[in-house]
Amino acid sequence: MGFPKRALPISGGFLVVYALLVATQLGEFWPFSIYPMFSQAGNPWTRAMVREMPSQTDPDTLSWDAVSLQRLPGASYPLAPKGINQNDVANYVSKTDQWSDERVQGLRSLFFKNRSVNSSLLVYRVRGELVADSVSISATPVLLFTPDASHLNPSPSDRTVAGRSPPAE
Amino acid sequence: MSTLARFAHTLRYELFENTPPDTKGRRLFFRGLELFIMGYAVYFCWTWGVYIQQNISSVLLPLGLANYIDVSFMFDHNVALINAVLVGMLGLVGFFRLWRPAYLLALLAFHLQYVARYSLGEISHGSNLIGMGVLGLGLALVVFQGERQRRRFTFGFLYFFIGLGYTSAAVCKLIGTGITWPDGRHLLMWIGERKVDTLSRFGSFDATMLQDLVFYDYHFGTLILLVGLLTEAVSFLMWWGKYRYLVVMLVVGMHFGILFSMNIFFQASTILLILLGLPWHRLIDYGLNRAPATVASS
Repeated sequence: MGFPKRALPISGGFLVVYALLVATQLGEFWPFSIYPMFSQAGNPWTRAMVREMPSQTDPDTLSWDAVSLQRLPGASYPLAPKGINQNDVANYVSKTDQWSDERVQGLRSLFFKNRSVNSSLLVYRVRGELVADSVSISATPVLLFTPDASHLNPSPSDRTVAGRSPPAE
Repeated sequence: MSTLARFAHTLRYELFENTPPDTKGRRLFFRGLELFIMGYAVYFCWTWGVYIQQNISSVLLPLGLANYIDVSFMFDHNVALINAVLVGMLGLVGFFRLWRPAYLLALLAFHLQYVARYSLGEISHGSNLIGMGVLGLGLALVVFQGERQRRRFTFGFLYFFIGLGYTSAAVCKLIGTGITWPDGRHLLMWIGERKVDTLSRFGSFDATMLQDLVFYDYHFGTLILLVGLLTEAVSFLMWWGKYRYLVVMLVVGMHFGILFSMNIFFQASTILLILLGLPWHRLIDYGLNRAPATVASS
């Protein structure tokens, strides 16, 4: 079989492999993908931010209430200079249904593994939603990492996206 | 001949026969493209390897082969870095045509590196086109003996799957949201999301001119999203030679639009598209043809 006659069936064969893999793997089997990014528009989103707090921050006296971005306590803790991927932190915060010890340690290791951190870090879950023609953004603290311990938000419903989502009608 | 057979015949011609002449410039351009793809593959694997070693200790959400094998062995003892070196070595072996399966094995190692790196819930698409490039090169090296056939197959394979991928993205948007997808308020939401990400990553956020325009009136956002959606929808037209360069450069333009409206830049994909979207081989041929005259006159 000459070149062009072989080239198309080979590509077609891989098209079948592509289709089977994305169909059975929720649209993703790297490097194959259906590229669903930004396909669901207008839905509320959940991201994360980290604030640097004094090392002696007391989880019992800390305010665990939701605040706007303008009222975040502590100092900004930019992740990029630390070599921490923002999406990894955001995925931990938004996709965790149950904060098991393993999950808490997994998130903690993003900040503390192979690093010496002398201050406390307060991890916020940040939620945005469309209200009329503008975006309303609020931040809820989820975890306080002190140099030697990890403290969850005392309110279980505030720890996860599912806990805070409005009940289905 | 049935419609499907006619379509297959047309596609075969447009992807694998209707190609530029096989000049020295074309041959050099292909080797340069090959070096770019494999070089970027090694770059991805190395940067992911360093990140895996420094930051990852458990699998949160398995992807790809990680659904079937436990990839936690990649997280310690520099395994991820060794894997990156392996991809580099296989890349060199393949580039110098020392062993035909080299590129496909490099792809397997590349895939393992990807699923180890992206085991925390994020699904990154910044390396997909490079991965498809490695796959195309790998298949070309294994299936075809002659370099000319390998070149023609790789280019045709890339144009086919890249065009398919972007059109798929458009279809996903229309299925996921419907005809209201281009509503400018959706872009307001995404800009808000990117603002939070940028604040989280760098501590500050400065809106671009395009973002200021959308903040001023979200209908500008509707226009931006409509142009992006239409560009993705027609991407499959790059399968046809006469539309190829135009469509590929439209997709490049879309990526710059995404950069200025969303602060997201798919660098590897954009550079690959620029390489595929312009007749660089003609520039190389022009330079090669002028070189003896330039040397003689000096």
